[in-house]
Amino acid sequence: MFEQFKNWFESRHDYAKDWKERTGGKVIGYFCTYVPEEILYAADVLPVRCLGGHEPQDVTEPHIFGMFCPFCRDVLAQGLKDKFDYLDGITISQSCLHLRQAYTSWDMHKPVEFSYYLPMPHHVQSLASRPFLRSELVKFKEAVEKWTGKTLTDADLDRGIEIVNTNRRLLKQIFELRKADVPPLTGLEAMYLVLSSQMTDKREHNKALKELLDQLPGRKVEREIGERLMILGSENDDVPFTEMVEDVCGATFVIDDHCTGTRYFWNEVIPKEDRLQAIADRYVDRVPCPTKDWPKRLRVDHIKNLVEEYRVQGVIVVQQKFCDPHELDIPAIQQSLKDIDVPTLFLEFDVTAPLGPFRIRVEAFLEMMRQDDLF
Amino acid sequence: MYVAGIDIGSMTSKAVIVSGGRVVAQAITLTGTGGSDVAHRVLEKALEKVGLQRNQITYVVATGYGRISVPFKNRQVTEITCHARGVKHLLPQVGYVIDIGGQDSKVIRLGPQGEVQDFAMNDKCAAGTGRFLAVMAGVLNVSLRDLGPLSEQSTQKVEISSTCTVFAESEVVSRVAEGTPVADIIAGLHRSVAERVYALLRTKMVRSPQVETIALTGGVAKNSGVVKALEEKLGATLAIPPQPQLTGALGAALIADDFAPSELIRSS
Repeated sequence: MFEQFKNWFESRHDYAKDWKERTGGKVIGYFCTYVPEEILYAADVLPVRCLGGHEPQDVTEPHIFGMFCPFCRDVLAQGLKDKFDYLDGITISQSCLHLRQAYTSWDMHKPVEFSYYLPMPHHVQSLASRPFLRSELVKFKEAVEKWTGKTLTDADLDRGIEIVNTNRRLLKQIFELRKADVPPLTGLEAMYLVLSSQMTDKREHNKALKELLDQLPGRKVEREIGERLMILGSENDDVPFTEMVEDVCGATFVIDDHCTGTRYFWNEVIPKEDRLQAIADRYVDRVPCPTKDWPKRLRVDHIKNLVEEYRVQGVIVVQQKFCDPHELDIPAIQQSLKDIDVPTLFLEFDVTAPLGPFRIRVEAFLEMMRQDDLF
Repeated sequence: MYVAGIDIGSMTSKAVIVSGGRVVAQAITLTGTGGSDVAHRVLEKALEKVGLQRNQITYVVATGYGRISVPFKNRQVTEITCHARGVKHLLPQVGYVIDIGGQDSKVIRLGPQGEVQDFAMNDKCAAGTGRFLAVMAGVLNVSLRDLGPLSEQSTQKVEISSTCTVFAESEVVSRVAEGTPVADIIAGLHRSVAERVYALLRTKMVRSPQVETIALTGGVAKNSGVVKALEEKLGATLAIPPQPQLTGALGAALIADDFAPSELIRSS
């Protein structure tokens, strides 16, 4: 049922190369989920997310500070090692400095025909962010038009919005099923859904999601569900870790807060006459990344709502080592979960997760939750 | 009915045999590189002491980093839970457990029933572990068991980095070259371990250390120098079981003792 999504994720480069060949279209690599994919789909450009490769590498040391997060170094390594050699363009919207450094260095050493830095505002809680982002989207749209030689009409933008919104809606409907006592999909399977949606043509992805949505409610789940866990942090495409928690330790992830998960698709564009304003509003109002979530921490309440709705028993808080924005929020998140008696386990992630030591911590965490019979 | 707890640590392996909640035998052996063989060896060693046969052990709980590869276990439980369970039995009034083992150190906060409420483990670094002290003993050419007594002869304070075993080792080498007395260096190393462990404890501490009873377990608890350095840092006296490195195996055996009857009935 999930093979297709897993294959898309695992063979992302083959997919993109094949897509180019069969459509003759352009592919753009994006570094952050604050990039408005609606405008790219409107221009018939395929956006694919630049994620890491989870392999040790030796190419980024001269270009990026060793105490920048392992994710941004891993992403840059993919560029420097020509893993994304099929890209026609790259783009980033402002989120954190570490990732921007990866983008800047990639741009410098592997120049492509289109490169765009979108100054997504940090202070999304200010009213001024809406007209500001709209004005930046005007420039972004113009740049994309110049690059592709195609003028984007309102009808094009509507089509772009519809493609991306449909994907969000379908993913959310599928995630809704995870609220059940016996969720019809595992955390790993859910992870494949979202990750693959970030690197395949969403029109194809939507078709596959619809088919999945038809089949899922009748799916028989053989495995024990165990504890209902949430996982949260910055990005997470660490398959071995997720597999270990679910297959070896016997728990199930029922929800997440990652930009490779729910943060990516939770909010839709709400249609408006002014299309670019509608898109801008969506990115201002979406579940924020910690770089945008101040002075109020709105994400904390969102996480608590998810915990309640998905009946989460414990939360694994993962952090990319040296990720400053998340480091700022993690103590507040852990405290607020503690206040509602939801235990948390903090783990620091690197390019590869040390599975042995993590297994002890996860098992001890689960024992702590089920220990009535151990004491 | 006899049950056993087996704790396969990175440096030593431990076995405790329990019957009706009472310890009847215990054994310690070096883990070495024997893989699952060490579990047999340490259990045999304990059995021999009281003339028991292997088939008289009805239930085995394995713990420690090698718990997964104990071939004859009935159940595996992490060392976090086992240490808490062992401490609950030995020192029921304790609020926190600090366990310093061969390759990691951990802090466990206990609830009113002695259950685990929260825990923290050292990440990706040997500083603050038994291995750190073993490496330094090697550099200084003294035996591990002499570290404690030697540090008591220290007369002046020497600071050693607590962040990295490799850096600390080169620091020790420079100190030796400068002619700093070995006793002072060792005392500095003990403070460095204490600092590291104290920092870990602070991440989970709710009240001040002075109003809590804190237990120290694991092999490093046998080093009087680390105990002293940690007590100074805490401003409190540590509760230490008579055989601190057996705490995990004891906890495993007690869990086995609880589980054996119901599980055996279920399987028969």
